[in-house]
Amino acid sequence: MDEVESRLIRCFSSVFPDLTAEQIRAVSVESVPAWDSLAAVTLVAVLQEEFGLQINLIDLPELVSFAGVQNYVRKHKSAS
Amino acid sequence: MNLIEALEILRQAVPEDAHPLRVFLACGFTPLHLETFLAAHLRKRMLQERIEVKTGLFGDLAGSIERLQTSGCDVLAVVIEWQDLDPRLGIRSLGGWRTTDLPDIVKSANQAVSRLEQALRRGASSIPICVCMPTLPLPPLFTTPTRQAGDYELQLRQLVASFAASISNESSIRVLNSQPLDELSPPHARLDVPSELMAGFPYKLPHASAIAGLLAALIQNPTPKKGLITDLDDTLWAGILGEVGTEGISWDLDKHTHMHGLYQQFLGSLASAGVLIAVASKNDRVLVAEAFERRDMILSKENVYPFEVHWSRKSESAQRILKTWNIGPEAVVFIDDSPMEVAEVKAAFPEMECIAFPHNDYQAIWDLLKRMRDLFGKNIISEEDSIRLKSIRGAGALREARDVSGDSSDDFLQSAEASIRFTFGKQATDSRAFELLNKTNQFNLNGKRLSDAAWKTYLNDPATFLMTASYEDKFGPLGKIAVLLGRIQGKAIRIDSWVMSCRAFSRRVEHQSLKQLFQKFDAEEIYFDYKATPRNGPLQEFFTGLLGAPPITDLRFSRAAFSGRSPSLFHRVEEVVNG
Repeated sequence: MDEVESRLIRCFSSVFPDLTAEQIRAVSVESVPAWDSLAAVTLVAVLQEEFGLQINLIDLPELVSFAGVQNYVRKHKSAS
Repeated sequence: MNLIEALEILRQAVPEDAHPLRVFLACGFTPLHLETFLAAHLRKRMLQERIEVKTGLFGDLAGSIERLQTSGCDVLAVVIEWQDLDPRLGIRSLGGWRTTDLPDIVKSANQAVSRLEQALRRGASSIPICVCMPTLPLPPLFTTPTRQAGDYELQLRQLVASFAASISNESSIRVLNSQPLDELSPPHARLDVPSELMAGFPYKLPHASAIAGLLAALIQNPTPKKGLITDLDDTLWAGILGEVGTEGISWDLDKHTHMHGLYQQFLGSLASAGVLIAVASKNDRVLVAEAFERRDMILSKENVYPFEVHWSRKSESAQRILKTWNIGPEAVVFIDDSPMEVAEVKAAFPEMECIAFPHNDYQAIWDLLKRMRDLFGKNIISEEDSIRLKSIRGAGALREARDVSGDSSDDFLQSAEASIRFTFGKQATDSRAFELLNKTNQFNLNGKRLSDAAWKTYLNDPATFLMTASYEDKFGPLGKIAVLLGRIQGKAIRIDSWVMSCRAFSRRVEHQSLKQLFQKFDAEEIYFDYKATPRNGPLQEFFTGLLGAPPITDLRFSRAAFSGRSPSLFHRVEEVVNG
């Protein structure tokens, strides 16, 4: 697990405290009922804070799974 | 605190026996992360409480407050933003910013403030309320350039300032001070435009955390410290008195020692607000007395009691001062320029706040004054605050008189010329009575504490009564020293809470209080909700004296039994009925 992944797991864990690290790696909007609009907004805020990103809320459709979030963060983190 | 930390704090387990603290957060916008931050800051401050933050309908701040069922919460936190006064003062509304709209915006803001004020005052009769006035920048809707304040903008700011000043007079309302918020959260870094437009949450996260942190402190409302023990040399004044003499010490601009003058001025301010000030100094007593006679001394010697000036350890001085004041070390701040003395006192009294006075560091002294204001700051200056020092001096005089007469006999009490004023009236705003109930340990019927909300609920019950007692004798006034909460049940009285300040011990105030109750309510019996606590020994001794045996739970006295065992009482008694 690299540094970005471990920080991402901490972010997800703070929003979805009932999930294990293993479950978080496979998580998506469809698989977790708790991933509602409030959780989505909270997750975006946590990610922005943790990685110093400015996430546009119109990018939300990309951020619907751990894998999608990881791709997004790696892409924008390297761009910033 | 950042958001991830806040979420992690909220995941931590709460002790099973934690007392719930139910906070209602009212705001016109989506509370989102403000709710999270508020709960986390409260949790961090109040580890023994189970924090529950509830929110109302968004978009209707005044309505949320008006509909609030105060019985379901302990504290109301209100966060107002400009758009709550008129939606056009936010950025989600497109109601118009034409020049012709501006007078109407000010007018509707006035109406909104009136409605909010009414709702807050109504709520304040039941629960404590903490209010945060608008913190966001006003949008650029005015005709003047942003660098220039225009008429309508100033009218709006004046409206909010007047509103804040007006409600801050309510004893149950605490208004968040914008000055520390400005220090924590720069005004230009508060509004999150994308978040406001897309999620309805207008704050950048650090700003939300700053507001929540200050609101949590306001809600917690820590008990202010009661006494300050100060050193003299290089603290109250610059210079070593024993070396430079009375005229060599200074606290003025010319000698670049002005911060010591500010410190003196600050202590004078504390003393005027009822804070006890004592001196602990390794010094020559005669020289110190001469120094306090200097005409330019800012802190009057009348504001200081006692003076502990000798060459013994500072912890011994602190011990004697605590005994004279009759308060615990946790209620006292010790200030000395010597880190060694600070460490010595701290080792003797770990609960005492011990602070090193900064040496030749103006900025650090300024920061110290601000820190001390936070330690000693209080909502209201009560009548008791104004007489506290006098009553402690009086108690000292009384002790001395007793020592001279050699006993505490009837003769002595008769000669004390004591008077007691019993007041019956259920004033929820009686902050002194509420304070006594929640801080008194030794003469305390059962150790029960009441939250602000529970206090108001109790007093709103038509079957209950509140009796307070104020005492004065020839040695000086003690102010309000006893509080009794009870209910009438036919010919019986049930006492739910009874506390008396230890300052009033040995004056038979407790006997006179019961006598007063029997007479006032023509009662035949008094039942006590008594419970022994680790600290209510003096109350147990009182009951043991009356009963002839240690008290048990479900304690009661008949009128006849009390009359037969009560000692002689010499007080002049006055009864006042309020409301």
